[in-house]
Amino acid sequence: MAYDMLDLLTGGNRMPESIPAPLIIDTLKDTFREARQALAAEAQEPSRHQHLGWVLSVPDTHQKSVLAALDKEQALRVVTCATEDEATTAAAGLWMGGEPCVLMIQHAGLYASINTLRGVALDGRVPVFYMIGLLSREKDKAPRESRHSMVRYCEPLLDTFGVPHARLEGPNDVHLIPEYYRLAQKRRGPAAVLVGLETL
Amino acid sequence: MAMKPEDVLRAIAAARGEAICIPTMTTAPAWREIAPDDVSVTCVGFMGGASAMGLGLALARPDRRVVVFDGDGSLLMQLGSLATIAGAQPRNLTHLVFKNGVYHTSGSQEIPGGLQVDFVAMAKGAGYRQAYAVRELDDFRKRLPAMLTDPGPLLVELHTGLADKTPMTARGGLPFDRQVETLRTKLVKPR
Ligand SMILES: Cc1ncc(C[n+]2csc(CCOP(=O)(O)OP(=O)(O)O)c2C)c(N)n1
Ligand SMILES: [Mg+2]
Repeated sequence: MAYDMLDLLTGGNRMPESIPAPLIIDTLKDTFREARQALAAEAQEPSRHQHLGWVLSVPDTHQKSVLAALDKEQALRVVTCATEDEATTAAAGLWMGGEPCVLMIQHAGLYASINTLRGVALDGRVPVFYMIGLLSREKDKAPRESRHSMVRYCEPLLDTFGVPHARLEGPNDVHLIPEYYRLAQKRRGPAAVLVGLETL
Repeated sequence: MAMKPEDVLRAIAAARGEAICIPTMTTAPAWREIAPDDVSVTCVGFMGGASAMGLGLALARPDRRVVVFDGDGSLLMQLGSLATIAGAQPRNLTHLVFKNGVYHTSGSQEIPGGLQVDFVAMAKGAGYRQAYAVRELDDFRKRLPAMLTDPGPLLVELHTGLADKTPMTARGGLPFDRQVETLRTKLVKPR
């Protein structure tokens, strides 16, 4: 059944589904491929790197299947950071050097690094692209109605800081990954996609 | 006698070549005067971020040396970055810690542990390729060429006195977003 139809029947509350890791990884690769092409058109010099882009990770339980699959992936380089502050600031360094990257973190990590989001991504106008796992999000509830403060505050916090965000509620939503990546570049600021359910 | 941070910075400015320098806190106003055209990013608004920003730049541009001018208080705020940097092993990263024992910029309160804090041991413990302390300007000048060419990640703990100016007493310089834009333009070189 088409999603809009389902939405109609369920009053907009369609049931979220888990997204398989390979689908996320392939989408990220396509996103970075496109970013490299855009950069090649913009820059005088070709990229020095063989791989497509970088994943800056402070391990997110919610996306652990993606992290496990990334271990075997040559085209994406993973840098595990001790804190989300470091991941955010390192993303800015990579961007200044012309490299595509994504931050893979969880909601608690967003809360932990909010001053860096403000000081680096907003004040510095750096297109930091986030994939944020909503660990403990209940399947039958909008995150804003969650029992868990960890889940509940994520979207309102992003709203407060004016960070555009969208939720990946199933395999059909992965098109939001390149869309929000591009949106970050276009707005010259942070943008986030939230991973609704634990990845497969 | 502790080194004057301005003397250290002047020596770096003379020797740095193509290196990208990232000052933070009290090295920022001094660096602005000493190397006004440099591709530097000052990191005052996100205390502790200089080291990770250096890491990102070093990974993006393995062809360029990246030199971070960290504060001792700033490094304590994001001390985990030592392990993050060591894990990523950027060979082109030099991490200089200006150890003055205090949070000079915010009013010279002593940092936790004061001058006892041993950043050399911490960097080695984290897995930096090299880490050592320098206390005299002559020694600094002698070792500087190696600091800029030896395989990194490399940390040097610099025993310094207080800078003449702080970001609070000497405001100014380009707004942060303009610095970011300028550095990206220099590195990416749009057609
Ligand atoms: C998150 C955060 N907490 C506190 C401060 C206040 N603050 C501004 S400068 C500074 C001290 C910096 O000390 P250090 O890194 O040792 O550099 P120095 O001024 O000694 O060169 C502090 C605590 C801040 N800017 N950001
Ligand atoms: Mg200090």
